Amino acid sequence: MSLHPTILSLPVAIPLLFGALGMLIQSLPLARRLQIQQTLVGIAIGANLVVAVILLVSALTGGPVAYQMGLWVPPFGITVYLDAMTGIMLTMVGLLSVLIYPFALATIDAERARLGFFPMMLFLLMGANGAFITGDLFNLYVFYEVLLMASFVLLTIGGTPSQINGGIRYVVLNLMGSMMLLLGAGIAYGTLGTLNMAHIAVRMADAPYPVQAMIGGLLLIAFGAKAALFPVFFWLPSSYHTPHPAVTALFSGVLTKVGMYSMFRVFPLFFPWLLNSWQPLLMTIAGLTMVIGVLGAFAQPTIRRLLSFHIISQIGYMLMGLAVAMTPNPYGIGFGLALAILFLVHNQIVKTALLLGGGAVELEMGTGKLNELGGLVKLRPVQATIFFIAAFALAGFPPTSGFIGKLGLLEVTFSSGQWVIAGVSVFVSLLTTMSMIRLWQYIFWGKPHRQPLTPRRQAHSNQALMTTAPVVILVVLSLLIGVVAQPMLDVAQTAANQAIDRAAYVKAVNPELTEQDLRIAPPDLHLSNTPHPAQVAGR
Amino acid sequence: MTEIYLRLVDKILTPIIILIAIFLFLRGHDLPGGGFIAGLVAASAIELTILARGAEATRDRYGPWLIPLAGLGLVAAATAALLGLYGGGFFRSIWLEFYVFDDKLKFGTPQLFDLGVMFVVIGMALTYLLRLSEAAEATAVKQAALEERVEESRL
Repeated sequence: MSLHPTILSLPVAIPLLFGALGMLIQSLPLARRLQIQQTLVGIAIGANLVVAVILLVSALTGGPVAYQMGLWVPPFGITVYLDAMTGIMLTMVGLLSVLIYPFALATIDAERARLGFFPMMLFLLMGANGAFITGDLFNLYVFYEVLLMASFVLLTIGGTPSQINGGIRYVVLNLMGSMMLLLGAGIAYGTLGTLNMAHIAVRMADAPYPVQAMIGGLLLIAFGAKAALFPVFFWLPSSYHTPHPAVTALFSGVLTKVGMYSMFRVFPLFFPWLLNSWQPLLMTIAGLTMVIGVLGAFAQPTIRRLLSFHIISQIGYMLMGLAVAMTPNPYGIGFGLALAILFLVHNQIVKTALLLGGGAVELEMGTGKLNELGGLVKLRPVQATIFFIAAFALAGFPPTSGFIGKLGLLEVTFSSGQWVIAGVSVFVSLLTTMSMIRLWQYIFWGKPHRQPLTPRRQAHSNQALMTTAPVVILVVLSLLIGVVAQPMLDVAQTAANQAIDRAAYVKAVNPELTEQDLRIAPPDLHLSNTPHPAQVAGR
Repeated sequence: MTEIYLRLVDKILTPIIILIAIFLFLRGHDLPGGGFIAGLVAASAIELTILARGAEATRDRYGPWLIPLAGLGLVAAATAALLGLYGGGFFRSIWLEFYVFDDKLKFGTPQLFDLGVMFVVIGMALTYLLRLSEAAEATAVKQAALEERVEESRL
């Protein structure tokens, strides 16, 4: 399937245009305005999902495509780049936003809607899509800022003191992460003379090790802060439990996953060899992230606090997969990355299902405190069942997607000779299972401690359907991935193979630039003021 | 809050600063200037009005239009990018050139984009400035009340 590459701009253009239209009608009467805004958001996320699926199919069948914004020649213009990994992420985030939308429609209160909740959802989507699709390091930073601002508004919308408290921690710690990314981009520009990712990939091979280490380290810290890896995860548990449950679900599916995706993109492209030479460091971070996340979850008193610690714990598994991506093993190079991608998708699905299910309980009962809940299994048998399946999917039981992801990661780490981390991951899985049983037991088992709140304002007559159906769909998806694992694994393997194929990336962005640059090794880029031959050729 | 000098300065300077903003905007494409800086300058002109006449009066005048203005700016920017499709690609710039008394005039989609940026900056900066000024005024009123009470207790 071949597409006109202009369609690559749509994942950013659609949310931007519809979000702007939503702001434009701010001075209309409230009821009318909300009606129009909700319709606009519905159209936009639907269109976005359709475009994302088309892009995914085209990338899977036709290979990577790049497009130059405004048709400026690389490395001067901004490149957007699509391969199967980008397509998977665009589709997943599009799907999650489509599923969270009815939940938000049914449960969001009038005050938050008045303050512009729905247009902000679109700006969040735009930031995430932009970060997925961009092929320019500075542009990536810009989209991270868009994402940060939109998520900050969503986090503090409603303005309760706990939200402001969480929001300030969130924004301060995330700004530090962004600063690291900006520093990394600045150093890349100062030493390699380019910000275009394909161009950086070409020049990185000839750069001295300190430059590689500096850029790699800064990017590791920056994306680690975004993805909530071990020493820099503190913003997540202090903010995720404060906003509306729909927002938490959206964040868990988008924010940390964007950070992880950027790592998947940047490390195999810029310095795949660092994945091997830094393997002990990455494994240590991954192991500590897993262990500390899951141990933190045991100490948490509310549903969403507990689940947000599990987000951190699961991120460790993805880093583990990335760390063995370039290690030779019987399954082939890149198998680790394929499983990390599969695990990321699994995590997006299951975590969103758990947070939506838990959020619905919290909204219905008026509290998320575990020791005040209980006995909901009789009252809400459907919710209890799907929450049970989702919880065991997170723990990694067959026949769910979690089983496939964890088994595969275990096999690839074992066969790469990483015994310690494999052992740690099994141990953490056990703890996750215990924690999930504890969570389910507290919410659904035992005697009811309190009655559900009578809904003060029934926004929609079919509210129960609109809050439960998305969770059911997500759980079914998780089971589907678990049952028909081979096709899903093939898709992930294709994505991983495209992601580690540096030559294809560079070729897709600019074929001429590649050959020029691969022939000429610039001796001391950071000292010479003369333009690089490729730049001259580019002009 | 309604200092006579400030009001005089506002009356004279605000239109001039707005003219400067328009000048900066038009100068923008090839020379220093452009939508962002023009938006900031225009917002600073209206900040002068806030200082002279108080945040409340300014909000009555401009308040309801600020967010729609930012929205309009975003729509203009997105439209400029989409118009580029006509010229061959997303964000491709299209220029129209014509002559007025031997002077070449150029209009194009980058200008529309820049106009959008200017609107967004004005809308957002003023929303922010109005909130800050309101908070500052509320603090000032509280402070005055407190001082009055201290004064009374002294008597």
